[in-house]
Amino acid sequence: MINVWESVDATQEVRDFCRVWGIEGTVLLDETGEYAARLGITGVPTNVLVGADGVVRRVGATTPTELHAAVDALLDED
Amino acid sequence: MVDPAARRAFVACSRDNAVAAVDLDRCAVVWRAEVGREPIPVVLDPPTRRLFTADARSDTVTVLDADTGGRVAQLRVGSYPAGLGHDVARRRVFTGDTASGTVTAVDADSLEVVGTVRAQLGAGSIAVDAGTGRAYCVNFMSASLTVFDSGTLRPLGRIPVHDGPCKAVLAPDGRALYVTESLPGTVARVALPGGRVVGRSPAERAPVGLHASDDGRWLYVCNRGAGTVGVHDARTGGEQHRITVGNGPGDCAVDPATGRLLVSNAGSGTLTVVDRPWLPGGRPAAAHPAEGRPLPGFSLPDAFTGRVRTSREWAEKKYVIDFFASW
Repeated sequence: MINVWESVDATQEVRDFCRVWGIEGTVLLDETGEYAARLGITGVPTNVLVGADGVVRRVGATTPTELHAAVDALLDED
Repeated sequence: MVDPAARRAFVACSRDNAVAAVDLDRCAVVWRAEVGREPIPVVLDPPTRRLFTADARSDTVTVLDADTGGRVAQLRVGSYPAGLGHDVARRRVFTGDTASGTVTAVDADSLEVVGTVRAQLGAGSIAVDAGTGRAYCVNFMSASLTVFDSGTLRPLGRIPVHDGPCKAVLAPDGRALYVTESLPGTVARVALPGGRVVGRSPAERAPVGLHASDDGRWLYVCNRGAGTVGVHDARTGGEQHRITVGNGPGDCAVDPATGRLLVSNAGSGTLTVVDRPWLPGGRPAAAHPAEGRPLPGFSLPDAFTGRVRTSREWAEKKYVIDFFASW
């Protein structure tokens, strides 16, 4: 997960957010939003699916149905 | 919140713990006032010229003089007030208290808490039908609306909706209620007074804010997940076109004097002003421009360890990056 546009005390905000919502795993900080801008991310939440070749397969897929379908398609790739 | 007579818009700046007043004609900030922590909505009480904010992280409502920004009062309400409602005729301002699952009622004149209503977890935005005295509070974490009498505060019922309802607004004729359902990405149409969902239309991504035009023809839907506003036909619910705005748009309102749409962008910290938003623009791209291209490399610190992680660590793996914000 990458946190963006936090603007104030990002580290603490992210830690609190993850604790409240029970989020585990790698969480990175993009405090300036510069990386999100390079990818053309304009809203949150947004999921970016990346293939084993490093190419972006899908941007968006925020509803559970969309995300499951996109992940299934990614996993089905040879 | 738009005040057409004074030519002002009032914007809650959640990350700065402030409210800003913007001159609608010059598009310039005319005053800025500190309030409690993380103000989310703002309402204006025209008879007293007072502004009310719900300060989510302070569990307070801050009351300001709408003309000067001077602080009038700060009141303690329920836990994590994330939404407001307003019944001018009955002199009530309501807070939707997310963490306590209640609605707190404040007398708009005496500024005293006059009662609470049991809602559900995630209570937030509240739409009030001044004609019938019925109020509708969305419950984000309970996939429902709580209906109550805005005068007596008596609970009247519960309307189930889809997950993550964020905002409810009344149609100008009072015969329908529109609700953004952020998790499935839809907008529900609830028939009134029956309280039954009679239609549902897809929005682009993570719809949160919502505004119904005064003529009842258009719904403006803030897609927080896409950086756009969807313009929906209120009669059919269908999206007619999209307007690209700033990052993470949270809510919107129309200046009735000019018809301009004002959109507050939480991610960018900006206000977008759209002239004649009902006119169709260009067609949106079929696919996101990053799709089919190599992921740009990243080198970002871990929020828990501080260690810099790079995209090279995930080389030759299939993975999902979720971009998120805490607000």
